Amino acid sequence: MNEYLIRKAEPGDIPFLADVVIASEKGMSDRLSFTTLFNKPETEARELVIQMFEEEVDGCELSLSSFIVTEFEGKPISGSGSWIEGFNGNMPSGILKSNLISYTFGKESIVYLKTKSHIVKDLQIDREPMTLQLEYFHIKDEHLGKGLDAALMDRIEQNALAEYPALKKVQCQIFKNSVFSIKILLRHGFKIVQSYRSDNGEIFDYLPYNEKLLMEKVLNIN
Amino acid sequence: MEKEEIVSRLTPVFRKVFADSTLVITDQLSALDVEKWDSLSHMLLIAEVENEFTIKFKLKDLNKMANVGDMIAIIESKL
Repeated sequence: MNEYLIRKAEPGDIPFLADVVIASEKGMSDRLSFTTLFNKPETEARELVIQMFEEEVDGCELSLSSFIVTEFEGKPISGSGSWIEGFNGNMPSGILKSNLISYTFGKESIVYLKTKSHIVKDLQIDREPMTLQLEYFHIKDEHLGKGLDAALMDRIEQNALAEYPALKKVQCQIFKNSVFSIKILLRHGFKIVQSYRSDNGEIFDYLPYNEKLLMEKVLNIN
Repeated sequence: MEKEEIVSRLTPVFRKVFADSTLVITDQLSALDVEKWDSLSHMLLIAEVENEFTIKFKLKDLNKMANVGDMIAIIESKL
């Protein structure tokens, strides 16, 4: 593990983080919601994700401050997003993310979303205030199986506890077909606490899967 | 534009977006109070409000809107 440097994300990481977001959003599929729901080609969606990071809005999954990055031989090889929901009086992260998307993607994309929103509404899950939220956990394939996932999880929890010692719970929303990520979470002490399913047949055209899991880990801090 | 007129134009927008014909908007109303006010409907709400008043919110405006009262004040400042 000594060859890996885990650090907070910096502005220079933003293009890499855009790739992390896109890879994580696709999960085990080729469907990217930023393209399918907002009618944008992937190249443009990537540029818009970069723009959203550059706005430096704290407190959501598209905040630079939410990410840690792992470097190997001077290059980023993993990115992991996490934040404490509603910490320091922040608005709900879903609203902050929606504001970023509304502002950067523009009206035409939102009008398009309006025609598709009924398809994905059953997979909208509220985030619990003052819990640590994990989102966008991605490690390049060639660095899997080397214990990095556990080191990252530990670092994420340590960072959050340093910021908010009363933290009691970590949560992650994940598509059910993301089997490898689910295995990592289970191995790290998470449990599946709820499942959300859509029976809309069109959903596979827009999202990676028709079922999302809410996974949770209770922190036993004395 | 007077606040009362803004409220009277906002009310049908909110009722349409959240599919609730009885929804009454107040300064204190926020996403926490309306069950259907989630991240998806929030984007639709912003687009509909911008359309209704022919305005474009800046990102910093959007991130200041903790409740409807904040939204009204920002709309007022743009008209």
